[in-house]
Amino acid sequence: MISVSKLLCGLDAEGDGLRYDAADESEKPQIREDKQRRPVVVWNTTKQCNLYCEHCYAGADDGCAPGELSTSEGERLLEDLADFGVPVVLFSGGEPLVREDLEHLVEYASDLGIRPVLSTNGTLVTDDRAAALRDAGLKYAGVSVDGLRETNDAFRGQDGAFDAALRGIECFQDAGVKTGLRYTITERTAPDLEAVVDLLYSEGVDRFCFYHLDYGGRGVPDADLPPDEKREAVRRVCDMTREYHAAGEEIETLLVGNYADAGFLVEYAREEMGEAHASAVREYLRRNGGDPAGERVADVDYQGNVHLTQFWQDYSLGNVRDRAFGDMWTDDSNPLLAALREREEHLPDRCQGCDYVDVCRGASRLRALTATGDLWGDDPQCYLTDEETGVEDASVDGVGAD
Amino acid sequence: MHAPADRVTVAERPRADDGTAFEVFVRDDVDRPLRHVGSVTAEDAADAYERATRLFAWYADDIWLCPAGDFTRFTTHDLDDDAEQAPTDVSGFDGGDDYEEPRNREWS
Repeated sequence: MISVSKLLCGLDAEGDGLRYDAADESEKPQIREDKQRRPVVVWNTTKQCNLYCEHCYAGADDGCAPGELSTSEGERLLEDLADFGVPVVLFSGGEPLVREDLEHLVEYASDLGIRPVLSTNGTLVTDDRAAALRDAGLKYAGVSVDGLRETNDAFRGQDGAFDAALRGIECFQDAGVKTGLRYTITERTAPDLEAVVDLLYSEGVDRFCFYHLDYGGRGVPDADLPPDEKREAVRRVCDMTREYHAAGEEIETLLVGNYADAGFLVEYAREEMGEAHASAVREYLRRNGGDPAGERVADVDYQGNVHLTQFWQDYSLGNVRDRAFGDMWTDDSNPLLAALREREEHLPDRCQGCDYVDVCRGASRLRALTATGDLWGDDPQCYLTDEETGVEDASVDGVGAD
Repeated sequence: MHAPADRVTVAERPRADDGTAFEVFVRDDVDRPLRHVGSVTAEDAADAYERATRLFAWYADDIWLCPAGDFTRFTTHDLDDDAEQAPTDVSGFDGGDDYEEPRNREWS
């Protein structure tokens, strides 16, 4: 997760302490905390969802999966995570609001010292549930909106989903819960990007997370933007962020899921803001540590399987009913886990020679695996040019934006 | 012999909803033991082999797969709601009741 607004505009925000190491000068306590060494954990609390989104990594549909973690199992999972030192649990799904015990689990996490946040489609939120979640200790609600009304509803498989999500955002805001947008950039949704930000900012939303498509579940390569169009979309996010801030509007914008963005941001900063700013951006990104799979993010699915990221659902390290999460996560005898943590030696030649390997770390291994069949192949969504990477041998077909 | 006393038998439940979970074991050299490295979800054993190979071929010589549902798991971990106390008697051994570790178990 890369904060464009912090790197380009200097906006401090909650969560930056996790992303950019301790910022001692910050006024926000969380940012001053020592860098967390434990992962943020996404918990897919259920497979059930009232929508059927084209890109859903969890393959969610209208029914629960057999053997979903119960309330008491969820409590013990949260205890395990707290014991291990997990700083944040993202309650996700499916649609987490279909679980009637969501408020209880959020409160349970909060009482254990875990920061509970929520990923939701927003369509099931009511004033009462938003207030109950606030009272339970919910710190943030990310609501998925993927385009303007027509685009979003087609993408989500239900007419009225857009309006329902906006009502959900309003419920959270009325309850005083910090609320942000989750927006997945695909071929279908990219054209609406600025218009959605403009619309939701006028509704009081000031945090916008833009997700690149990772290739898990129903998120398949065919739905993705070509790399050159992806690059252009990222440039638009950067431009838009600076324009808002130049107008005195402090929006927080983040990019998630493609660490080619890290290299691009340095290049963008150098081009638009000068070498000194580019150096500062690079230093922040170096602290951020590049792609987080298997290190700074983890996933526990609805049946208790532990995954390297929330998108990497077809491989599991183990199951929390068999073994404590922390024991699995620190088990470096797992060769895949160990290799991801020492991935530089395994990355493809283009990455190993890249000037930005320290801030990117090979981008998405899942995307490389899905697209090429090779875990250590090239991420097809690296859009950096050969000139930018410093790799003169342009032997990788289809990669690079020029 | 001293062993952990409070093992439970993890309840049998599906480990995947869309497909079948296969536990994966790999050996990285001929004189090394097999090592459990997690599970893959796949349509069938052939698909599971393909997925496991793609994840571990760079590392492993041998890859063994078994449907996750064919395992009986004993653990000291206490998360599972439906777990049952693991047997503490060691059948066919005089004085087996003195042992708290179920080292042998035959399933019929």
